[in-house]
Amino acid sequence: MTETAADTTRTGDDVPTALEAAVTTTDHLRIGRAWIASGVLFLVASLVAGLLVSLERMDLSGMAVFGDADSLFRFWSAYRVGIVLLAVVPVVIGLATAVAPLQVGASSVVFPRAAAFGFWVWALGAAITVAGFLIDGGLGTPGGTSRTDAVALTLLGLLMVIGGICCATVCILTTIVVGRTAGMTLSRVPLFVWSVLVAGSIWLVTLPVLAANAVLIYVDLASRSAVAFGAEDTIWEQLSWAFSHPQVYAFALPLVGIAGDIVPVAARRRHGSHQALLVLTALLGVLSFGAYAQAAFDVGTPIREQAIFVVEAFLVVPLVLLVLFGLVDTLWRGAGSRRTRMPAPLYLSVLSVLFLLAGTVLGALRAVAPLDLLERSTTGAQFTFTIGAALLAAMAGTLWWGDLIVGRVAPQGFGLASALAVAVGVELVAVSDMISGFMGLADFTGGDLSGAGYPGSGVNVLNTVAFVGSVHLLIGALGWLVTGVVRFKGARSLGDTWGGHTLEWTTETVEVTSESPLLDAAVEVGA
Amino acid sequence: MLTTGFKLWFGFFVAAFSAAVFAGYTSGATETGPISLGWKGGVGNHVTYVLFVVAAAVFGLLGIVAVAFRDADSESVAEVLGVDTPPPAQTQVGSSIWPVLGALGVATLVVGLVVSSALFVVGLLILVAVSLEWTMTNWSERATGDPEVNSELRERLLRPVEIPILALAGIGVLVLAMSRVLLASSVNGAVLVAGAVGVCVFGAAFVFSRRPNISRRLVSTTLILSCVAVLVAGIVAAATGEREFHQQGGGSGGGHVEVDG
Repeated sequence: MTETAADTTRTGDDVPTALEAAVTTTDHLRIGRAWIASGVLFLVASLVAGLLVSLERMDLSGMAVFGDADSLFRFWSAYRVGIVLLAVVPVVIGLATAVAPLQVGASSVVFPRAAAFGFWVWALGAAITVAGFLIDGGLGTPGGTSRTDAVALTLLGLLMVIGGICCATVCILTTIVVGRTAGMTLSRVPLFVWSVLVAGSIWLVTLPVLAANAVLIYVDLASRSAVAFGAEDTIWEQLSWAFSHPQVYAFALPLVGIAGDIVPVAARRRHGSHQALLVLTALLGVLSFGAYAQAAFDVGTPIREQAIFVVEAFLVVPLVLLVLFGLVDTLWRGAGSRRTRMPAPLYLSVLSVLFLLAGTVLGALRAVAPLDLLERSTTGAQFTFTIGAALLAAMAGTLWWGDLIVGRVAPQGFGLASALAVAVGVELVAVSDMISGFMGLADFTGGDLSGAGYPGSGVNVLNTVAFVGSVHLLIGALGWLVTGVVRFKGARSLGDTWGGHTLEWTTETVEVTSESPLLDAAVEVGA
Repeated sequence: MLTTGFKLWFGFFVAAFSAAVFAGYTSGATETGPISLGWKGGVGNHVTYVLFVVAAAVFGLLGIVAVAFRDADSESVAEVLGVDTPPPAQTQVGSSIWPVLGALGVATLVVGLVVSSALFVVGLLILVAVSLEWTMTNWSERATGDPEVNSELRERLLRPVEIPILALAGIGVLVLAMSRVLLASSVNGAVLVAGAVGVCVFGAAFVFSRRPNISRRLVSTTLILSCVAVLVAGIVAAATGEREFHQQGGGSGGGHVEVDG
């Protein structure tokens, strides 16, 4: 553990209480834990919102749960914003804050106080955002049943969330760039570090654009009589680009790194070509840049009908396929030397890449204009597959590095069961939404019931299946939460749980001489 | 020797200038205009070109500053600090209250934007205070090569400012909170509240003075909880409102106030 000196050398009255330590810490492991714990809590909250929306969609002929379309939309958008910016991204940041510095041989994250600041800004911003959604604000139309001041509060909370994420990302990226130990060139860094570097760079160039969208809407909202951009009437239209293809891939990108670090250790074989996986990850990052795809500002040919959008959608698929082949190749070559009982995170990480592949295939299909899927529930299916993939990978990551981050052991079986519940949930929700989308069901069904789709065609049955999937998702998330709580009461970890001899498990600074992230000792084991 | 900082800024400079040239030639530039800053030929889209060139100029200037002041050069740092071996580039920092206070400041400011301008100002003040404290702490940590001297330096510079300001702010807030409580209570109630608070303060001071070995944590916890209690009572009282006052008499100076008992 890398507790800071000031955290460990105090005695008597100077020893901080648990609350003081939690509030004032600058230790990267503690900050990482705080990100992960908060992310899981907000995940549960987001999934409750998603569950209510699924319940409402089971009967398209009326508004049994929410009463009006505005309220339904508030929860529908809260689910999408929450699961990305309040759950998946924070958990990934938590993993990166805790693990990435150790993986590059740094003793801590660079700018530890700024890293703590990033977390607190995000946490308070998330609380304000949720409060905004709950007091009839959210991202709904202010002219409807939404309160203008509550909508403004939601937007400002969202700005804080984005600010916190960017601040934490800057700290992590700086650590990766300047905090590496001797010999750890960028071409040698572990895949998780590389994927965070690529994804974080994309976040840093796209999330400020999302913040700018929010500022534009806020200005329009706050000074309605003086300024009128018309932004306040199309809030979701301006923000939705961040939660659909291709930007959504940027949030899921670290899953490639998580899977890329788990597979070789589990298979006891280095990747066939570490460099190729680095290049593929970088290319995926470039293709996931989505700040340009803002349909709200279309002039002339709609952006989603332009060549760049369509080509990008199709190019992503072979790249993810190649990543999958790379991982399967490593597993295949390591078939003779790998352990008899495969670790739970291995299954989850490979499954997450498969889900990402499904998401990219759906993304490519959405871009085919004659299929007319852009506004259908296939959008939701693609979102569920992609973010579900990231969620599974994050769960795999917490199971893989949890012993290191917390210093205590958790029951892997229970963690695996929780993650499988999430996987089943993702599958049920995404597949039913995908089929409903092909049958004509709209992505958001509350605005105009007549335009929601074809209730008589069987989408009600599919929506029931999606509801069952949402229940699975919630159960899985609660299971994840329980796994984390149980871990804090578990036995002390003895270190290097998986026997991979990777840098993050070592307790002293080492000079890296290997061309691959797995150190030489691991190769000897596998040879 | 070129420092790390210089290399970074120089890289940005090259990227920005290349972008300017690329943007120039793809937006109607002629001859060598984009390369010669418009001396021979046009530069294409003026706005894009100027933005990129200005960015390049800023990055270049930062690069020169970085190399001129030997930024991040370990030998120079050791020389300036007067130590034989340079301190580690990444120093361990201890616990800090400023990140969470800074975030609270941002949150107060943001909520103030929607709720009330007074709250916005409070948030702004918190942010200014945190920025100053944070900056001074960071400066003091690198002032010399000796952490103890650095800590003393910080104390000597900031304590004379922190203590009076915090005392003033604390007293002001407590007086305001107590006054709200007294104004919200009935006449007899206010007397009772003032008496009870006075007895509590006197009693606590008496106990603490009689037990010099009492732990600092107990003292500080008691003080913090008392302050929070007064603050909460003040907020509740402010929300409840003052008791009714009746103005009697006609003139500006001759009237007197009666209150509901």
